[in-house]
Amino acid sequence: MSAPEPKDLRELGDRLRAAEQRSAARQKAPPPTSLGIAFRFSTEMVAALIVGGGMGYGIDWLAGTKPIFLIVCFVLGAAAGIRNVLRAAKEINAEISAKSDAGE
Amino acid sequence: MKMDPMHQFAVEPLSAHPLLQIAGHPIYFTNQALWMFIVVGAISLFMVMATSRRSLVPGRMQSMAEISYEFVANMIGTASGEDGLRFFPFVFTIFMFVLFSNFLGLLPGSFTVTSQIAVTFGLAAFIILLVIVTGFIHHGIGFLRLFVPKAPFILLLLLVPIEIISFMTRPISLSVRLFANMLAGHTMLKVFASFVIMLGGAGGVLSLLSVAPFALIVAITALELLVAFLQAYVFAILTCIYLGEALHLHDHH
Repeated sequence: MSAPEPKDLRELGDRLRAAEQRSAARQKAPPPTSLGIAFRFSTEMVAALIVGGGMGYGIDWLAGTKPIFLIVCFVLGAAAGIRNVLRAAKEINAEISAKSDAGE
Repeated sequence: MKMDPMHQFAVEPLSAHPLLQIAGHPIYFTNQALWMFIVVGAISLFMVMATSRRSLVPGRMQSMAEISYEFVANMIGTASGEDGLRFFPFVFTIFMFVLFSNFLGLLPGSFTVTSQIAVTFGLAAFIILLVIVTGFIHHGIGFLRLFVPKAPFILLLLLVPIEIISFMTRPISLSVRLFANMLAGHTMLKVFASFVIMLGGAGGVLSLLSVAPFALIVAITALELLVAFLQAYVFAILTCIYLGEALHLHDHH
């Protein structure tokens, strides 16, 4: 067995790198399905409303101020939900544009 | 025959007697616990077998393990930056656990661990705790700047509570998304499967019609395979994003 030439090794390195790049492009996650996006948005919104409402209800229960905090926190929760949905939309957009950059 | 589509999610003790008692509450070994052991066992078996014969040219098992490793490493690199890689073991564990529970849950007669809100919320709560601890370790009290967007002072009075609520929704939306996807998918499969049995048993022309829901089951199963992977991916990448935010605060906005 003869030792491989350094040139061969370099060539092999180049080929490996090319293959790596190709597989990296392939390995990117699948695009989010529209069902997935819908699920994502709705859970973000509902979760924020639940947290806001629950928090307000809890404060009211502790402080005996029914229903002031429930109303205030529910509205804040709705705002937080919209904020979450906007953030999720931004993430999904970034994901999709990253994918099209990767050359798919 | 029992045709309750929710029956598959029932958590039942496997032994007649509880394993131990904690403050008067009996603790049973349930089908849920059994399947969590099976999931962890399957992952361990897969990784050990894949890495037992390490060769330069990977075989089928080894390249599957390498692909999943690189997939998660890439995900962390893009979502939380290079220094997020120190969380690789954690994110990899979470990803593999959710992925294997989702896939094993698709086997007929199995139990889907991730269709239980207790499991998914447990995972999500642990992730958020880790995010908070990481944030405070890295930035000290400055981690609280996460809740202060760039805005005039008057608006901050309104925006800070909103940001805090928005942060608190994370464990809930993270856990509910995974649990609801699994629950919905498996219920749908069971419902259509019961259509096949009902139509098939009806006799005459109706029996022939049972082909239609059967074809649908095949299609839905394929969709569920995609959803199983996608939800594991979403769960893991959101973990990375949250960890990345704890590491870098507002830098990347």
